[in-house]
Formats: sequence, C-alpha cells, structure tokens
Amino acid sequence: MLRNLWLRRQWSREAVIGLSLAGAYLLFTAVFWAYPFYWLAKLSVTQWRFFDEPVFTGTRNLLLSVQDPQFLQALWNVVRFLGLYLPIAFGGALIVAFGLQHVGRGKAFVALCFLLSNVSSGVALSLVFAKIFSSTGPLNTMLFAWTGVRVPWTNDPTLAMLAIALVVAWKFVGYYGLILYSGLLAIPKEIQDAARLDHAGPWTRLTRITLPMMNPQLMMVLTFAILVSFGLFTEPFIITGGGPSDSTATPQMMIYETAFRRLQPSHAAMMSILVALVTYALVQLARRLFERKVVLA
Amino acid sequence: MTSRRDALLLALGGAALLAGCGRQQAEKRTDRIQLWVAPNAAEESFWKIAVARWNAARLGLPVTFTTIPTAGNSEDTVLSALVAGTEPDLCTNVFSGFAVQLAALGQVVNLAAMPGYDALLEARHMRSIMAGWEQGGQVVALPIYSSPTLIWWRADLLEANGLSAPPATYADVYRFCERYAVRGTRYGMQVVAGRAWQDRWFDFISYYYAASGGQPYLSGNKALYDNLAGLQAARFIDRMYRQGWTALDFDAEEPLVSGLAAGAVRGPWDVERFANIYPDTLARIVVGPMIAEAPPTTTRSTFSDSKGVVIFRNSRVQREAFAFLNWVLGEEALNLLWLQRTGLSPARDDLLTNPAFADYYRGNVIARAYADHVATAWPPALSEHTIDIQKIMSARLVEPLMLGTTSPAAALGDAVARTDRMLEVQG
Repeated sequence: MLRNLWLRRQWSREAVIGLSLAGAYLLFTAVFWAYPFYWLAKLSVTQWRFFDEPVFTGTRNLLLSVQDPQFLQALWNVVRFLGLYLPIAFGGALIVAFGLQHVGRGKAFVALCFLLSNVSSGVALSLVFAKIFSSTGPLNTMLFAWTGVRVPWTNDPTLAMLAIALVVAWKFVGYYGLILYSGLLAIPKEIQDAARLDHAGPWTRLTRITLPMMNPQLMMVLTFAILVSFGLFTEPFIITGGGPSDSTATPQMMIYETAFRRLQPSHAAMMSILVALVTYALVQLARRLFERKVVLA
Repeated sequence: MTSRRDALLLALGGAALLAGCGRQQAEKRTDRIQLWVAPNAAEESFWKIAVARWNAARLGLPVTFTTIPTAGNSEDTVLSALVAGTEPDLCTNVFSGFAVQLAALGQVVNLAAMPGYDALLEARHMRSIMAGWEQGGQVVALPIYSSPTLIWWRADLLEANGLSAPPATYADVYRFCERYAVRGTRYGMQVVAGRAWQDRWFDFISYYYAASGGQPYLSGNKALYDNLAGLQAARFIDRMYRQGWTALDFDAEEPLVSGLAAGAVRGPWDVERFANIYPDTLARIVVGPMIAEAPPTTTRSTFSDSKGVVIFRNSRVQREAFAFLNWVLGEEALNLLWLQRTGLSPARDDLLTNPAFADYYRGNVIARAYADHVATAWPPALSEHTIDIQKIMSARLVEPLMLGTTSPAAALGDAVARTDRMLEVQG
C-alpha cells in the first residue's frame, strides 16, 4: 500500500508528461552529444587508427598537439583573423543597425535581404569570392586598369587573411547587424532626448549612451564572432587552401586533415578538445574585459 | 498515469539506438563479389557492361556493383565503410597514396601474391608501369588507368608567334613568352596549378619527372629532389614569375579559352570538359610534352594521375575477386571498351602498338598524345605522408618561388630538409 503510494507520487501524470517532452531532447543529446563526447574524450588519451582497439597513451596526444608547429600556427592564425575580422564585422554590423533605423517602409524586406548572405552556401560564396579575388579576376583587372597594379589577394599572407575576413564578414554582417538593431530598439528614446537637452553631441551620445546600453548585444556579437573564428573551415579551405605557407590554415582544417587525410583520429580528437578550451578561455576573457551589466531603472 | 512499462520501453529504445552506434562487422558474403566503382557516368557505363558479360558467361562468382556511395570524396566514404565493416570486396578509384595508407592500416591485400598476378602483367603489358606501384615487393593497388599530365597549347597563338610545334624545352617557352606575354595582361603559360597540396602533381612534380627522366622524388624517409633536375624545374618556375610571364593564379577563368595564357598543364580528363563547355577552344588545342631543360631524345617522362583497384582484407572472396580483376583487366576488348567509354588510357604500355586500339587512336589526336606517354608517366611517391610532403613542397618551394622571396636553390634545399625532418619525426 505504502509502496503504491510512493510510486504514484513518483510517477504523477505531470511528471510523465514532463519526462516524455524532455525525453526526446535527452535522447537526442545522449545519442548526438554524450556518446560522441565520450568517444572524443576516450580517443584523446588513446592511440586509435580506425581499425584497431584504442590503446591508452596518456598525454602523448596532448604533447604531440602542443608541440605541433602547424597546429600552433593554425591557432595563431585565428588570432590574426580576429584582428582583421572584428573591426570589419563590428563596423559593418553597426552600419547595418543604424541604417535600419532610418529605413521607413519595407524594413522587414531589407532585414531579410541582409540575412540572405547568412543563409547562403559557404561553398558557393567561397567559389565566387575565389574568382573575385583571383590575381586575374575582375577586382584585380579593374585595379590594374586604374593603377597598373595587381593585388595578390590570395598569395600574400596578410592579404589572404584579409580576403577571408572580408568574405566571412560579408556572410555575417547582416546577422550581427540585426542583433545590434534589436539592442538599439531597446534603448528608451527618453534617454537620448534627455542627452540632447543636455547638449550632448552625436559622438558623445554614441559613446556614452548608445554603445554602453547595447553592451549585451555587442557581447553577443563578440561571442558569436569568436565562435565563428575558431570554427572557420569552408572559406579558407576553398579560397586559399590554407596557404600561402599555412598562413590561413585554421584549427578546423588541421583537425579534418589529421583525422581523415593523415588518418590520425586520436591526435585530431586532442586538437579538437584544445580548440574548444582555447575558444572557451577567449570567450571568458572577452566577457571579463568588456561585459557590463545594463540596468534600466 | 503512464505505466512503468512505457518508461522502460523508452529506455530500451534509447539503449538500442546507442548500441547501433557501435562498430559492427557486417557478415561478408561468399556467394558473390561486391564491387564499388567511381561515381561518374562514363566509368559506371563501362562496369555495367563488363559485369554483365562476366555474369552472363558464368566465369566465376557473380559480381554486383554500385558506384561509391559518396557525396564528397571517395576516400572518406571508403574509410567510413571500412570502419563500419560495410566495405565491398573490390573498390576502384583508389589513388596510390591512399592505397599505401590502407596498406599501412592492414586493410588491403597484397595483389602480387595472388595467383595469376604475373600472367596478368604479361597479358596486359603493364610490367613497366608497375614499377611505380610496387613497394617492397608488395602491390596493394592495381592501376586501371594512367592519365599522364601534358601541356595544352593554343595552336593559333603559337603559330601567330612563330612556333609551328608546341614548346618542348624551357628555352622554347621563354622564347614564346618574350613574344606573347604582356606583363599584367596576358601570360605565356600557367605554371602553377593552384594552392592545394594535390596541385603539386600538376606542376612541380610533373616538371621534376620531365627533367629527371622519371626519377623518384622520394625514397623511404628521404626526399630526393634537391638535385640538378629539381633545380632546373625550380629555376624555370622562378624565371617565369620574375619575368611576369605567368600569373599568381588563374582562378577567375579557364585561361586557354580567352588566351589569358597560351599554355597550361592539363590531363585527359579535361578533354570531355572542354568538349562540353569550350568546343571551339578544344579545336584549337595542340598537346605538347611536359617541358624540361634539355630537348627530348625519347618520349619524355611526366606525372601520371592514376587510379587503381584494391581488394579489402576482410573480403571472404579475395581469390575470386582477383580472378574477376584478372579477366576484366586482361581482356583487350574490355580495355578498348574502357577507352571508348571513359577516354582514359588503360594502364598498359602497348596502347599505340596494339592493333586492338589502332582505330580508336587513329581518329583521336589528343588521346594519342596521352597514350604515347602512358609508359613514361609515373605515379606519386608511395608514401602515407603524401599530404605533408606536398604541403611542404607548396609552402617551402613553390610559394616562395611565386612570390620571389627565396632563390630556387635555397627554396629547394629548405623544402627537402623540412621534408626529411618531418618524415623522420613521423617515423
């Protein structure tokens, strides 16, 4: 009797409905996250080459990864990429956000147009941009006609990274712009009006009111940008192939090549864990440095 | 209220799903041979006929075939199948470097040990070709076709600039470029194929084989191309860039069509592409040998982009599968059918002397040029570190020469030293 009572309490109708609703997600997570994650963790501390049993090797993969100059170069390339990408992405996104404020009719259509680049196939747009940036492509042909100079967009280490940053920014600026636009809409008009009454100029209002009050959205964009940077694969893979001299090789390219071209999945697993940790550390650092609490009293 | 049985079923279902993620070795069939072929219509049409003939004649175990079920590249799919235990008995479209990797992982069998192997080499006239496919007496893949790299030139542009035949030496190319090239506007030749590691097959390695008479660029753990042939090839690349006779890349367009470049390294697979997209240009193409410093005395060596066939270790019908291979590769009528369907030269050295192929080549000038080079075209070095070897070649040799940051000799020495170091570390 008591036992039945206990079970009834444990398995109430609400609990079962809740479990059923959450069950699908839990099952999905178990299959597509927990199980691969378990394998990833196991691979990172073992030696496995697809067909044999994993053999525990302790820190071997860790030491291999941190001593691998190509992997370290790939991580450094992400920092170089961020140095070019962040100003372009933030500049472009702010222009989109402020621009949208001044669009009268058809605002939703304009916003959707910006999103189009975001949902475009990365492969397709990389192929198009590879042609545009080619030393014999339309951009260089135009430049050569005007100035007599061809710019080695994809053959100089810095310019090649800039070319990739421009392509990725083109893809994401609209999306980031919409996030920032939502932040702009959330700023009470009264605050801006009050600042105007106090004779605050446009620059002062931007730097003292608008941007600080958009801090949550700016942080969100910054976090997304960091995640995008560490996840870069398609654009450098197609546009520069990681060259020249591995200057645009990314950690994701390294992981892919190590696992599926060099057939060293254990080494690649450790690389992916390190990339995840570095990404997390950089996001936390960015939050520490730039995140501010915005409270509207 | 829902019973505990439902919760239990949910848990069991989840567990079953998870269990399905584990590696399972599918039971291999012994009553038929399973074959995977390259996923393109031309090759598929050949295998359809060949397999039908084999099955109709009841020459051995029946064969079933399908194209490699891939949306990306064949290597990934083959690897996935091997891990899942769903690989076939035979698989075509395997390049030599991947075959060596599979051999290192113990996944393919040594075909040289199969009964009838020697007879096949004799029957198919492929003994000279096999030199590039043997490693330590083992043959892990048997080449089906061999596609030499040669240089396509626009015949009309050559003629307009005083050349009645395609350039065969660096000096010929320089002379032509002096007349044709206009810095920043049009170029004599596309010298570098691209940035990816595979592109080295179609530039430096092709030039090196031509300059060295087909000498290997790698042996065991040592890179061998820091020699006179390597230096000649490197100097050629360097001079073409320093003079502005070639562009950093030709990604924007097919340079032969507009005359942006008058020459470029191309393979026989480009014939169909040009026939479909640029038929007018194809009509104006003349095929020349791979260029080198010295004038050619015999047929010049070059690189061969070959694909082979492997038999997987887990196959339970290995001998029967090899018997099928022996038949399909040894039959001259099927070799001719392959040629007609795919346009790719079978890997045999008698293509221009065997009457069986005479009619085909009589009416096909470009195909004849490629067939002429099959016996002197060499596959990539047999190494499981192909990617790293060619990435170093790109980053330390070709790219510095393109940008003019290093002298040819210094770049060559650096690339070879780094390759040796990498191979030593990798063991």
